[in-house]
Amino acid sequence: MGREIKKILIANRGVTAVRIMHTCRDRKIPTTAVYSTPDRLAHHVFMADSAVHIGEAPPIESYLNMEKMIAAALQSGSDAIHPGWGFLAENAKFAQMVLDAGLQWIGPPPKVIAALGDKIQAKNLAQKANVPTVPGITDVANVEQIRKWMKQDKVHFPIMVKAVAGGGGKGMVKVEQKEQLAQAFSQARSEAMKAFGDDRVMVEKYIERGRHIEVQVVGDEDGNIVHLYERECTIQRRNQKIIEEAPSPSIDDDLRREICFTATRLMREIGYTSAGTVEFIFDSSTRKYYFLEVNTRLQVEHGITELITGLDIVGIMIDVAMGKKLPFKQSDIHPNRWALEARLNAEDPRTFSPSFGTITRLQVPHGPGVRIASGVYEGADIPPYYDSLFMLIITAGADRADAIRVMDRVLSRNLRVEGVKTLAPLLLSIIRHPAFKAGEFSTRFIEENMDTLISMFKEKNSEDEVLKIARYVAEISALGPQPWM
Amino acid sequence: MRTRESSIFVKPGMSPREIVDAVRSLDGVCFTSVGMRDAGQSDFKNRHRIYDLATLAPFYNRMGLFSAECHGGARWHVGVMNRRESPFEEIEILRRLMPNVLLQTLIRETNMWGYRPYPRNVIEYVVSQVDIDVWRCFSFLNDVRNMRTVAEVILKRGRLFEPAISFTMADWATNDYYLGVVKDIVDLCGGTDEIIFCVKDMAGVGSITRVSSLIDAIKQKYPDLVVHYHRHITDGLAMPALLAAAKAGAKIFDVQEDSLVRFYGHSPILGAHAYFEESGIPVNLDRSEAEAAVQKVREWINFYDWAESPFKGLDHTVIVHKMPGGAFPSSFEQAEKGGFLHFMPAILKVMSLYNRIIHYFDVTPGSQITWVTCSGIVNKYAKAKGEAGVRHLIDLLTKFVDEKNVDFDAMSDEEKEELLTLFRNAPGDFRNLLLGHYGKLPMGWPPDWVYQSTFGEEWEKKIRERTELSPLDSIEDDDLDKLRRELVNHLGRNPTEEEFILYLMHPKDAIEMIEFREKYGEAPLVLPTDVWRKGLRKPGDKVDFELWGKPYSIELVSIGAEHEGLVHVVMRVNNKTRVYTVETPRAKKAEIRMAKTMNEIGAPINGNIWRIGNPERGSLKVGDIVHKDEEIANLEAMKMENAIVAPFDAQIVEICVKLNSFVVEGQLLFVLEKM
Repeated sequence: MGREIKKILIANRGVTAVRIMHTCRDRKIPTTAVYSTPDRLAHHVFMADSAVHIGEAPPIESYLNMEKMIAAALQSGSDAIHPGWGFLAENAKFAQMVLDAGLQWIGPPPKVIAALGDKIQAKNLAQKANVPTVPGITDVANVEQIRKWMKQDKVHFPIMVKAVAGGGGKGMVKVEQKEQLAQAFSQARSEAMKAFGDDRVMVEKYIERGRHIEVQVVGDEDGNIVHLYERECTIQRRNQKIIEEAPSPSIDDDLRREICFTATRLMREIGYTSAGTVEFIFDSSTRKYYFLEVNTRLQVEHGITELITGLDIVGIMIDVAMGKKLPFKQSDIHPNRWALEARLNAEDPRTFSPSFGTITRLQVPHGPGVRIASGVYEGADIPPYYDSLFMLIITAGADRADAIRVMDRVLSRNLRVEGVKTLAPLLLSIIRHPAFKAGEFSTRFIEENMDTLISMFKEKNSEDEVLKIARYVAEISALGPQPWM
Repeated sequence: MRTRESSIFVKPGMSPREIVDAVRSLDGVCFTSVGMRDAGQSDFKNRHRIYDLATLAPFYNRMGLFSAECHGGARWHVGVMNRRESPFEEIEILRRLMPNVLLQTLIRETNMWGYRPYPRNVIEYVVSQVDIDVWRCFSFLNDVRNMRTVAEVILKRGRLFEPAISFTMADWATNDYYLGVVKDIVDLCGGTDEIIFCVKDMAGVGSITRVSSLIDAIKQKYPDLVVHYHRHITDGLAMPALLAAAKAGAKIFDVQEDSLVRFYGHSPILGAHAYFEESGIPVNLDRSEAEAAVQKVREWINFYDWAESPFKGLDHTVIVHKMPGGAFPSSFEQAEKGGFLHFMPAILKVMSLYNRIIHYFDVTPGSQITWVTCSGIVNKYAKAKGEAGVRHLIDLLTKFVDEKNVDFDAMSDEEKEELLTLFRNAPGDFRNLLLGHYGKLPMGWPPDWVYQSTFGEEWEKKIRERTELSPLDSIEDDDLDKLRRELVNHLGRNPTEEEFILYLMHPKDAIEMIEFREKYGEAPLVLPTDVWRKGLRKPGDKVDFELWGKPYSIELVSIGAEHEGLVHVVMRVNNKTRVYTVETPRAKKAEIRMAKTMNEIGAPINGNIWRIGNPERGSLKVGDIVHKDEEIANLEAMKMENAIVAPFDAQIVEICVKLNSFVVEGQLLFVLEKM
């Protein structure tokens, strides 16, 4: 078909926007950044070729504001919009508005987003394509219904209450016992309303000690569907992934082939285009896998797939949006490395309490086998209104042990962030934990091992220590001898 | 002068008996240097930092000392409180720099390195964890029973126990009295072969004939006992007293660098060396090393002029008021601060009369009890009747002590009545002393009128409560696990063993120090003293140091002007520019109330309070009744909701947060009243 894209507006912020701009730069496609008031001096704004202010801090007034987003694209002369992940990425209405405004939408068609974004429809589609799904009920209006289903199908706690429109761990509440059910139900609904403007929820059996495995798929408008193999995303805290890797250490080649083909089959049935991910929950004790959902967007952890395959998924999305065919067949895809991603969130590594503020010092890791996408620069602010992820650290090696070694070097030696707390100490403890190294873990790994992980936090390093001494010298230089002396 | 290959004759690792034999067979005498502890305590308020003292260590290591007193006494507490150094770090540093030298502490029997009697299990725990070779232990009551636990643990560890008698000059402090104490000590220690015995003249009051006579009497009775003489110089007669003691048979003498000598510490090492040798008594000392140490002190001693007392000078009247070492100048400073400096002569006079009524030794904690009690009495009289009142007090006490020979019944009824209120406002420690909480007094309990005067109508009851037992037998063991949990709660982490011991001795100050060190790291150990005390003063000033084997440099670029209580300090830390915001005392403190008690509900994490109440019943207000597990607010952080629930059935007393406000972890949200 051949549609040209001359300038892309990235309807996102932070690491997400920065990552997409990297590819746009490679392709010499100019970019437009959008920003809310507190993001005026953010890193992604500087990286873009032009930038448009789209409103105040609350996402609903800025990064979720569809009208302003379209207006910004038109005003800046952009002819396409990449939504990144989060915010409007899986919003079918927005995708349609983009197309209606005469702009290119870099992502799957609105109809596909709508169908798969509705967890109930998605589950039905999966069942139609013979993909195994998790037992559950899909249209839940009240708590009584849940109790009835549990009794009928002999389901025991824990169960999962999920926003039908959800994703990214939001609007998802695990229920351990019946006393918590009412409160969890209303919390999930309320969160869902806030995050997605849709308070419908569904309920599923909770797969104990499950592992999270997903398959990256790309497709073009000619109906070519190719999978780029799987990713393991089992290490999560509060249902949000923090460490991902590819390939998955949980499955062997036979199962890998089966899961990947299952995902491809589903996406082909759906008529999927652009990049998307089919997520499964894997029960390692029974070796069974169940369909969870399809993410109709670029995912945070796409980078590890790029490293093991050598492909640029954002570039593929742009090409597909321009109507180009996939330049490869399934048989051309040969992953030949192991990659590990750690999400650097601005959070207290002990409590996960968000840590906002100014990044007073930033030493970005480098060295062999490292890829970084950073949403911040030294001196930048991390505002309290948005996701706490500010840097993606990806390492690669010939095998899993190699990739872990590089990550260890990066987290323990190279990286330095001052001004905000980060998850770095926890990430380091996780990759050094014997169970992680052995590939033995479940989605509850962090909660089950939190005490051990915290005890592995390194007490001190001389870099931090000298800064404490410098603070003392600064204070005494300014204030003179102190009464306590 | 003798020349020897090496003067080193005792070393860490030798058994107590080997050490005692080595001293016995020494031709002449030897020295303990108190340059790292008592010298600083007496004249510099214990402010000498290990950073500077450590520069002496290489010389000590070759000098041939008997030991280096570097630990204990008030150095412990001041280290924690004012220097922010841990005594454990000091030992570790000195061990590394002077492996040949016996490290010596001063421990106050059951009071150890604190100011109250500790229970037996605390003593056992602490003494067994401190890496010290020579344990000089004294009792301000000469109650040898109190030394038992310390002695047992030290003997069991194979370290050298050095029991000390507190020495003073008084009509009741006779040779027979002291020989009785020495006997108790020899009995406690199973003979004279594994201990060094110390005469502790902490105020520097021993006259030449008195010291000579006492040591002679002790050596007559215990010819094998190795005697160590600790004598302050306050009266100006120290060196002749040292020589007299040496001639009477004492073997070890406390000295300090000549350049450290002021007025209340110990004799100069080079002077003492010369005086002994000229008098025909050989001294085991490598004099050139001692001279080098004396020179070394001059490189840093000027950084401590601020710590010296403005009330300088020897004082032979110490033989009547008996105030020891550093307590003398510091009491003058207290009096100046308190506005009663002009009463100091009167207070010293009252002290000299007081110590003839109640008999114990003016050394910690006794000296503090004496000072607080006597200065309190004088101030009470001064407040009520001015100078005339103070004169009257001295007349009354002089009459009682000098004329009536402390015979209460010989006083008139009116005078009796006055004496019977004399101690009514005495401090708690004085009361504890009378009740036997520190142990037995050396000359028995004070007369009944003192109890009447102190306790009023309750005096007979108090006498019945008075214990004859040693604190070791009367104080119940502390619950160490509970204390450790307490510390864990304060710190939010597990303390090290060493931190726990600091906490056992001085709970409040230990926590402050640990928090200081968490914030400022090793600043107390690596910064030179001028920078430690005054910082970098002008742009371009810099300080270079090593930390954990790597070089660092901190350079001052500029100090900004103060604005609303904040100053920006620009520095280059290893060439990287950094800006520090420093709060001055005028900084506005945004006070955030934190939840502290059971009834106070705090925020579980940082976030935005977007709902107060819950969807079922809407918002809540003060006075509302809430039920256990009912959601009372909801906090959103990074798009996740967190329900805050009532921990029990309760009424809302206060809502401390506004809707849609950002709160920090632990911030007070609700005050509830349990129903």
